[in-house]
Order: sequence, then C-alpha cells, then structure tokens
Amino acid sequence: MLNLTEYELGNGLRVVLNEDHSAPLVAVNLWYHVGSKNERPGRTGFAHLFEHMLFSGSEHVGNNEHFRYIQSVGGVLNGTTFFDRTNYFETLPSNYLALGLWLESDRMGFFLPALTQEKLDIQREVVKEERRQRYDNVPYGTAFERQLRLAYAPDYSYHWPTIGSMQDLEAASLDDVREFFTTWYRPDNCVLTIVGDFAPDEAKRLVEQYFGDIQPGGSFPEFDLERRPLEGEQREVFTTPVQLPRIYRLYHLPKMGDPAWIHADLLASVLATDKASRFDRALMHDKQIAQDVAAYILPTEATGMLLMQATAKEGVAIADLEAALDAEIERVVTGGITDDELTRAQNRAEIEYAHQIENYDSRADLIGMLATYFGDPKIVHTWLEPYRNATANDLAEVARQYLVPANRVTSIFQPEGA
Amino acid sequence: MTTIDRTTAPPPGPPRPYHFPHITRTTLANGLRVLVAENHNAPIVSLRTLIRSGADHDVAELAGLASITADLLDEGAGSRDAVKLAEDIGILGGAVATGADWDASYISLDVLSRNIEPMIEIFADVTRRASLDSPSLERVRSERLMEILQQKDEAAIIAAKRFASILYGTGAYGNSVIGNAESVARISVADVRRFYTQHYLPNNTSIVVAGDITPEAALRLIEGAFGDWQPGTEPPRPTVTPNPVESSRIYLIDRPTAVQSEIRVGHIGVPRSCEDYFPLSVMNAILGGVFNSRINLNLRERHGYTYGARSQFSFRRQAGPFVVAAPVRNEVTRESVHEILEELRHIRVGEVDDHELNDVKSYLMGVFPATVQSASDVAGRLVDMELYGLPENYFDMYRESINAIDKPTIARVAHKYIDPDRALIVIVGNAGQIRESLGGFGYPIHELDIEGGAVA
Repeated sequence: MLNLTEYELGNGLRVVLNEDHSAPLVAVNLWYHVGSKNERPGRTGFAHLFEHMLFSGSEHVGNNEHFRYIQSVGGVLNGTTFFDRTNYFETLPSNYLALGLWLESDRMGFFLPALTQEKLDIQREVVKEERRQRYDNVPYGTAFERQLRLAYAPDYSYHWPTIGSMQDLEAASLDDVREFFTTWYRPDNCVLTIVGDFAPDEAKRLVEQYFGDIQPGGSFPEFDLERRPLEGEQREVFTTPVQLPRIYRLYHLPKMGDPAWIHADLLASVLATDKASRFDRALMHDKQIAQDVAAYILPTEATGMLLMQATAKEGVAIADLEAALDAEIERVVTGGITDDELTRAQNRAEIEYAHQIENYDSRADLIGMLATYFGDPKIVHTWLEPYRNATANDLAEVARQYLVPANRVTSIFQPEGA
Repeated sequence: MTTIDRTTAPPPGPPRPYHFPHITRTTLANGLRVLVAENHNAPIVSLRTLIRSGADHDVAELAGLASITADLLDEGAGSRDAVKLAEDIGILGGAVATGADWDASYISLDVLSRNIEPMIEIFADVTRRASLDSPSLERVRSERLMEILQQKDEAAIIAAKRFASILYGTGAYGNSVIGNAESVARISVADVRRFYTQHYLPNNTSIVVAGDITPEAALRLIEGAFGDWQPGTEPPRPTVTPNPVESSRIYLIDRPTAVQSEIRVGHIGVPRSCEDYFPLSVMNAILGGVFNSRINLNLRERHGYTYGARSQFSFRRQAGPFVVAAPVRNEVTRESVHEILEELRHIRVGEVDDHELNDVKSYLMGVFPATVQSASDVAGRLVDMELYGLPENYFDMYRESINAIDKPTIARVAHKYIDPDRALIVIVGNAGQIRESLGGFGYPIHELDIEGGAVA
C-alpha cells in the first residue's frame, strides 16, 4: 500500500501526498481538468497551444526561465495535453520541492501579467512546426485526425485532435489566451500530486504558502459529453504518399473505468501484443499478410475508444487484410478466448501497472489521473482488481457487444498509384 | 498564514545523498561476465544479455546481418517456436525484446519477480539456443524488406542514413543497422548461424540482472543456466574509417511532398572512450543537448522555426558522428542552417557564460538519480558500463568529473572537436522550394536521391 494523504485547500485545490523515501527525489504533478474537449470549433488546438504558453513565463518567472530553473538543479520536466486534461510535471532532487511549488503556483496564480503578443506568436509557430513534424510530414500522420472526424459529430469535442488545425492555430488571439486561462486554470480545477522524499508537514506548509492565496474562479462552462451515435459504420478510403496500405479502426466503447472499458483493455492485449496474440499470430506469423498490427484503448473520460491498425505487406490487397482481421474478431465473438490468453493479458496489465508505480513521476501521474477522473486517488490501490477479476467470458462479451460493424469507423490509407 | 516572497526562487534544503545501487560482479569460468543490482521499487526483475558485437561487424554485402540475427532470437529457441515462446513468456508475466545497434546485440526480458526461476531457462534458450531456421529467416526478412521500403517516406530516417553513408562510406557505421534491400535479400541461414556462432559466446557476453532479487539468488540462477555454455575465440573488433571532409558542403535530397526540411549538420565525433568525454558532454549540453541549450533557444524559442533542435555526439566504441538535427518549415531552411552554423562558430570561439556552464553542470550532476529509478533503468546503466568498459566506481565519480570542468576546458574541447568549416550539411526537403536559397552559403551543393545516388 502506498502512503497516501489527500486533502483540499480552502480555494478548492485538491492535494495528494505520497511519501516515499526510496530515492532522494520528488515528483510534482499537476492535472488541470481541461483539454481539447473544452475547445470550441474554430479554436481547435487551443488547449495545447496554451500549454506551450504556460512555459513562457509568469509574473515572477521570465520567459524560458521555468525550464532553466528546473534543469539547472538537475530536474526533468514537461507538460502534455490530451482530450480531457493537461498535465504539468517535474521531478526534482528532493531538497528542491519548494522550487517546484513556487514555479507551479506562479503560473497558476500569476500568469497573465507576463503574457505578450510576441510570446504567443512564437509559440504559435512552434506548435505549427510540431504539427508539421508529427502529423503532416510523416506517413499516416493524419490517421487519428481522420478517424476522429468520422467517429464523432462536428460539434462533439472529440471530433478534432489536440494538435488542432493550422487555420485555428492561426486565429488564436491574446484574448483567447486570457479567457482560457481565467476559465480553466484555477485551483479548483486542479489536482496537485507530490510523490517522493519529503516530510509531510513541511510539504503541507509549502503547498499552503504557495497555493493557498490563489483565487478560485466562477462557474465552469457546460459541455455536452453525451456522444450521439452516428448511423452505421463510418468509412473512408483515400490515397496518400505511403508505401504500404494500412487499415485503421476505431470502435466506440464506454468511458474509461467502466467494466467494459477494462475488459476491452484486456481484450486489446489478447488481440495484439506479442507473437502469440491473435492478430500477430494469424496475420503476421501464419498468413504473413500484415507488416504490423496494433490494438489498444485510450484513457478517455467522456467516451471510450478501442483503436486498431494493420499494415498490408507489399502485394497484399487491403480488402484481404481487412477480411482476415475481421475473421479474427469473429473468432473471438463466436469462440471466445482461452483462460491462458486471459492470464497473459492480466499479467501484462500487472507489469504495466508495476512499471507505472516504480517511477515517482509516472506514479504521480497515475494518481493525478485517478483523482481527476474518478475523484479518488486511493483507486491506485485497487486499480488492478477489476483486471484480476475479469473472466474469459467478460472479454468475449465485449467483443460481441462492441466489435461490430455498426459501432466502428474504418479509415484506409492507399498508396498513390495503387 | 505567513506571507511568502514570490519574487525570488526559494533556496534549496540540505541535499540528500544518493548512491547508485550496489553492483555485485562476477565472471564465470567460461568468461561470462555477470552484474547484479538490487532495486525493490517494483516486483519486477530486468534481465539483459549484452553481446559485445553489433552491426559494426556487418560487411557491406551483408549489411543488416547482426540485427536480423537478433530479430531471430525470439522466433524460436530451445524446444519452442515463436508462438510457444511468446505464450510461455506471457504466462509467466514477462516481456521480451531483442535487437542490435552499431556496437552490440541485446536481449531484454522483464519479468514479474515471483516467476524469475522458471523464466531463466527461457532467457537462456533465447540467448544460447536460438533455432535460427529457414522459415523464420524468411518471415523476418520479408518484414525487414517492407520496413526498408516504408523508410522511403520517413524524412528523418533518410537524413540520418544519408549523413552516415556520406561520412563513413560503406564500412562500419556507414550502412544502416537494418541493412538495405539488396544486402537483406542476400543474407542466408548460413550467414546468420555463422554470426551467431562467432559472436554469441560467453566470453563475448555480459548478463545483467537488476530489480527485485538478491545477488545470491541471481548468481545462482545465472550460473545454473549459463555455467555450461562453451566459450570460443573472442571476435576481433572491426575498425571504423570515416571519409575525410576537407571543406563544408551541402547534400540536398528532394522530397517533393515535404512541408518541412530535415536538416543535419555535423562531422566525425569521438569514441565513448575519449578522454574528453565529460567536457564534451558539458559543452554539447550548452550547445544543443538540452531544452535550454543555445541551438534550441535560438531556432525554437527566438525564431519559432522548429518544434525542437538538438545537437549530439554519438559516443560509440569507435568515433560516432557529431550531428545537429532540426526539422524546420520549408521557408526558413536557409535561415535555420545559417543559425546552426553561427552557433557552431560561436561556441568554437569558446565564449561561455558562467551561468550557462553552471546550469548545465548542475543539470548533469543532479539529473542522474531521476534517470535510474526503475529496475530497467538500472539494468540499462549496467549494460552501458559493460559495453564501454567503464570503471567500477564510475557512477560515484561521475559528479566529481562533471564538477571539475571549467571554462578553459570547454573552450579547448569546443575548438578541438567542433568544426563548422568541415561540416556535412544534409537536407531532406522540398528541393524546388529551397534549392535556390541554399546557394547563398557558397558551399558546393550535391543533389542526391533518397538512396544516395547522384541526381543529374
């Protein structure tokens, strides 16, 4: 059992402390409960652009000084944006806990005075380069974007990826930055998790000193998170400069934490993890028609998704690959899975969990996620239980219920000239 | 509540000591070196096999042999085929990976510690008793050929391949580790078995065990599973011979669909054993090795040309390259190359501020514990130690070695090892949009196709 303490400041900031002295390190991790799902059409990509802005200084911390302060004492840091949340984190030598809290509280409470048009313009260019580097200049780079567009209605917040569109990034204004900050970046929309080598009384005192006087905001804007199912399978085929055809699938699932989501997580492991998993074995080992296969779920709060992909080898028609993929799914639907397959998937979940716990930074991130999405960091102790309790039939049932054509999106990338 | 002063950074508390986990070493009678480090953060044991031969042994005609051999290790070993291996590893809560780089071949197996005993036999099978049969080779070959085909669309990989090939020719470090379509097509089962027999020897191997296990238990298991492995003649080390570069030149590789230029600027570097390893690490961190380094602050934070730019010395057993890498949008390709060259000139003159030097020194000294939290991290450090022959007290003397570096030392190594006037400038991008602007440098421009052939 981890040594967890959970409490809330007067301004609504939720704090989770996990004291652990096995290394002289401390991980400071903040989950702001805002992500690309809180964007509006016309301003896609904004939550992520904003994350960049939060590294560009605050009232008492100069531009780029946030990085410098942390790196110059031997710390590591970053931030990431996803549909439902934005996280900021640093791992520091433990005697620098106060430094981490000073920096994080300064940008939570005193960000706006340091904001300038020039900083926004530079970070806008950096993010556009990020989009080019990770989406537009790599083969299949726009696959996820295309799947989301097909999977969700245009006004639903998962319709676009966190990187956003070039056009919307171009349109983002200083007023947008101010409004976004005021709306979402406030103590009552944040979980602060501290893991590692600290004295709890000292940590509590520092947290109160640095965060206690930051004001909470008013009410939060409403977002409709109920997904409206689209009619039947959504499907597109398009031609693009790639060497090999690839099929992408998205299956709708209940949201993260739902029993069906847990069972789908295990099922994805049964389908595509190692050389004995269903897709690998059938498509890559036996038939040798696929170059690679993958199946995984995403930790999404509003609604769930199971993603699959398979790349056809040269000379293999994508229709044949798709038929073979569907035959494997059908085998699970009709024949179920074996107890050994279940055990292997459960073992894999256990290893992944152990890896997350063994590093302070990934442990803090897991705790922050559980506190943010489920309101209870102590779930970290019981997270594996539904995985351990799952039965082979539970996994087959997920396949029967969700891995059906009407519940899926299919995008096919065809090479030019094919 | 006491009011705090937000205007200045709070001072640190007293530093807490850090010690790398104790390393237990032994060498078995057959020459196999064994290193064990305990770390009980998680119920996991990390096993690593380090074969001290990699793609540096590949001859040009058979480029890719070392990595194909490594790929075949878990395609069948002992009495199990690929699927049975994966099943049995999975049922014990393990995950296996194999691979090769320029200097070595690797097997890694992480396992739930409660199952370490039965897993050792499988680990030994994959290391010592790989089947290396023809159907497995054909399957792996086919995947490899497709992988090589797919890389035709990967600008960053094309840039790295061309840079290596121009610098090293077709010798070691010059081909791709994964080989090329012709060489991979040529590799036979006999080639793979010869490589395996010549290099996968206990006296050319180190085994690392890290994590939730005692040294006594680990040594007993390794002795039991590897003690009767027969040694052979230790293979000779191939030598690496870079091509001489007398003056800077540009290589332009056209990718008509590109929306970014992948830029590589660099030249020959130094081996890991270089006596200036520590000063070079500090110098490179100032130049382009960390987020707040000069090159990244210039290209990203001052100009917004890129999502990230980095410089790196590839410290290998022999002299790897020194390379600055930056993906930038087409329109600012010339400006980006210019800024990179200016940064190289600037640091070569040796002007370094106190705060720059102190920042990176304290970063490199302080960051070490954060990078060795998991069993797998610790295992990786021990593998490095073995591969590069680092001294036993290396991780304890690391801080002192960094701390001793002063400004004159940085100036000396920058001048000695950085040379913007003898640089290879490789750009993979939209030639039609960027060709003309590159003329302004006055360097010869060679246009190549993505395979390195000259374009008329």
